[in-house]
Amino acid sequence: MNERPDSAQADASSLDSYRRSIERLPITLRPSLNQQVIQWATLFPFEQNRLAHFMKGVETFSPSALAVLTQPLWALEKKMGITLSNFSVASDTIENASLLARSEYYAEWRREVQRVFEAVNAAAHESTPFQTASPRLILLVLPRNLPVDPFSVWKQWDRRGREIKISGGSERLCELAVQGQLAISPNAILAARQGSRESSDLWLIDAEGKLNSMLSPLSPVAASSLSYIALKPFRDRLLAELNKAPKDIQATDEIIANLRREAWDAWGLWPAEVANQPGLRKFVIDLFLSGNGAVIFSNAFVEWAAAEALRRARPRTLVARFGMRSKPKPFTSIAIFENQQRISSLPEVDDPENSAIDAAILARYVWLNACRYPEQEQTLCLCVAEHGDSAFVIPPAGKSLGLGSEHPRTPEELYRFLEAQFLS
Amino acid sequence: MDASRRSLLKSAAILLVDQWASSRKRVFAGEPSSALGKDERKVIIVACGGIRRAETFLDTGLGNIPHLYRELLPQSVFYPFLRNAGATSHYNTISSILTGTWQRLDDWGKTPPASPTLFEYLRKRMELTQDYAWLISSNKALTSRIGASSIREFGPRYGANVVFPKQLLINAVIRAASQGHAEHSADRAAMQPELEAMLQNADNYEGLGWSVSGDESLLDLRMQGSMQQAIEELVLTSAPVTGDEFTFLVSAEVMRRFAPSLLAITFSDVEVAHFGSYSMHLAGIRTVDRLVYELWNLVQSLPSYSGRTTLFVLPEFGRDFDGSNTNGFFNHRSTDDSTNLTWMMCLGEAARSADVLERPVQHIDICPTIAGLFGIKDLDLPGKPLPGLSA
Repeated sequence: MNERPDSAQADASSLDSYRRSIERLPITLRPSLNQQVIQWATLFPFEQNRLAHFMKGVETFSPSALAVLTQPLWALEKKMGITLSNFSVASDTIENASLLARSEYYAEWRREVQRVFEAVNAAAHESTPFQTASPRLILLVLPRNLPVDPFSVWKQWDRRGREIKISGGSERLCELAVQGQLAISPNAILAARQGSRESSDLWLIDAEGKLNSMLSPLSPVAASSLSYIALKPFRDRLLAELNKAPKDIQATDEIIANLRREAWDAWGLWPAEVANQPGLRKFVIDLFLSGNGAVIFSNAFVEWAAAEALRRARPRTLVARFGMRSKPKPFTSIAIFENQQRISSLPEVDDPENSAIDAAILARYVWLNACRYPEQEQTLCLCVAEHGDSAFVIPPAGKSLGLGSEHPRTPEELYRFLEAQFLS
Repeated sequence: MDASRRSLLKSAAILLVDQWASSRKRVFAGEPSSALGKDERKVIIVACGGIRRAETFLDTGLGNIPHLYRELLPQSVFYPFLRNAGATSHYNTISSILTGTWQRLDDWGKTPPASPTLFEYLRKRMELTQDYAWLISSNKALTSRIGASSIREFGPRYGANVVFPKQLLINAVIRAASQGHAEHSADRAAMQPELEAMLQNADNYEGLGWSVSGDESLLDLRMQGSMQQAIEELVLTSAPVTGDEFTFLVSAEVMRRFAPSLLAITFSDVEVAHFGSYSMHLAGIRTVDRLVYELWNLVQSLPSYSGRTTLFVLPEFGRDFDGSNTNGFFNHRSTDDSTNLTWMMCLGEAARSADVLERPVQHIDICPTIAGLFGIKDLDLPGKPLPGLSA
């Protein structure tokens, strides 16, 4: 993926043109598209490309052809009772989602939206091929302090993959992979040379703070680096605000909209690796406001941040490192959405066994998320369970691993082999 | 859960019901007593949130449900294919079960069900007082509006008592947390004023979950003091406490004191899945498994329930499949079988011949079935009575 693609250089007139095109589309397609137009400056290059590509596809349809294409969706919206007065077209809201999900036509609506998007994107493809091919790496790390079950940890993983035992400290594999990718990530290096610390091509997502320390000595390389621990001041503040939301969808939408608009930069809560990266700051705000436990549990944060990074940025390299969570304190299983350090002054106690259960399934979820996109065909996935000195390796589509699993490999041996075979 | 923790929760539950009983006597002193005789039928519905078949009655999940699988399944009529064809949100699903009609309401309970509930059918037809119909829920997505419909001929005057024990605890925690007293060396000192304020403030009464009508909405002093002590001690202990445990204990006490003819219990510990902890979600399933077993044993031990009770146990829906674009087990929004297809177990009086019935059934079939068990058979509802049960 290009960091600064020509097609992403939309000027004001292009955005105006997008807005006009969006108004030609059925109501339920508009919120997400309008939201992207409004947030254009903080979209990742892939998102800008995708939006430009989609809008180009819309423009290929004559008014009558577009009417034919979207007529079933317009009709469904009418049956669902969706109008401009009860459905926000400016942005996605909980109320919009609730209105759609409780309709008896919900499943049909989803299928119809999918059909329209596919048709528009297909029309755009005919005029401009959409390039996605380049070698990619997803590295998932279950750190040594998580006692994953060696007999079951890989059972539900992709059958294309294979377990490789590692001799010696498997922690080294993560270092090698991170540093190897930094050294060969052209867009990240290019971005750094252009004076930017931000790159959507290289993501480091960490329950703790280990990955960023691997990055620093190799500067200048730009990356998107997120640490759950480093984000704590921001998380605590945001959680406190979120918990003020009453049990009412409209009021909650309003609070979330206000939190999106909040001048967070003035609060001085951002960690250094995020502070100077507007796109990444916006990503974090959106991530925490989209739920999925990202603000509550570190491993949910890692999984959801990785899933969103894959969806929104399609990075060439994504490293996600899971971690330990504390045991719930007496009331935290009842009010799990609260900050347990505020609820009780009892000391935090690690919960290694259950952290391992959470991290194991969530690591697999990261790979399953990647499998939803065409880029996965060029992706090498490497999940390392340090506790058992074991790695699960899934080669890119159509390629065999070509590495016997009969005896353990050193981290250096394994990484050199994978790099030569799949990442060059 | 250790014995001291359990007895503490139990004490709190008994006190809660004590308070309920005294306030009910005052509010409904003029209502007629039950029209049912000694041999009245009892029905208990247990709905336990979003649980996938993969974590329960498929091979991959049997280890999570030892009581349901080994102890209760052999004596039950079991439906392995129960379909939720409605909106897979909590308020809409519970409303659909209770009304026998797919409900498509505000997800957060802003409006009452749009069709009469079982509670209303039962109370109106059989001229029962409100104490014969209860809904006790852990789920904070519900509101007290779920106890009665918006239908003019029915409505709140025929509705159920609706209680949210877990919400009471949540309110206490939030109130205490909002004070930001983490620096205090002991939580008790930090939380005490908040607990007192919460329990004494009439404005919080609805938040505590009571659907008491009229003005009798203040907790009495005995209840205030007892609940305050119970919650404080819960805060100070290091053992885990669950909302479902407290909901079960309150339900058990309601059964002992009021012996309702129709009792709906909804558990929700499993909904921690929304926050992405799979281990805590599995722990929630194991808690449901244990509590249902304990509930069934309680039914056998209580003379007012033994031999005359039918128990329905079912998840409200499943959860999204691994690899879905809705983040798998976190949510219950997808439209495939992982979310829409679940199971149901019936035990007791109406389930006389243990069986596994693979014919697909739906959540809306439960209402006409239970109505039939109470002799109410002329309802015009879209669902069909469940096969395999004896009226």
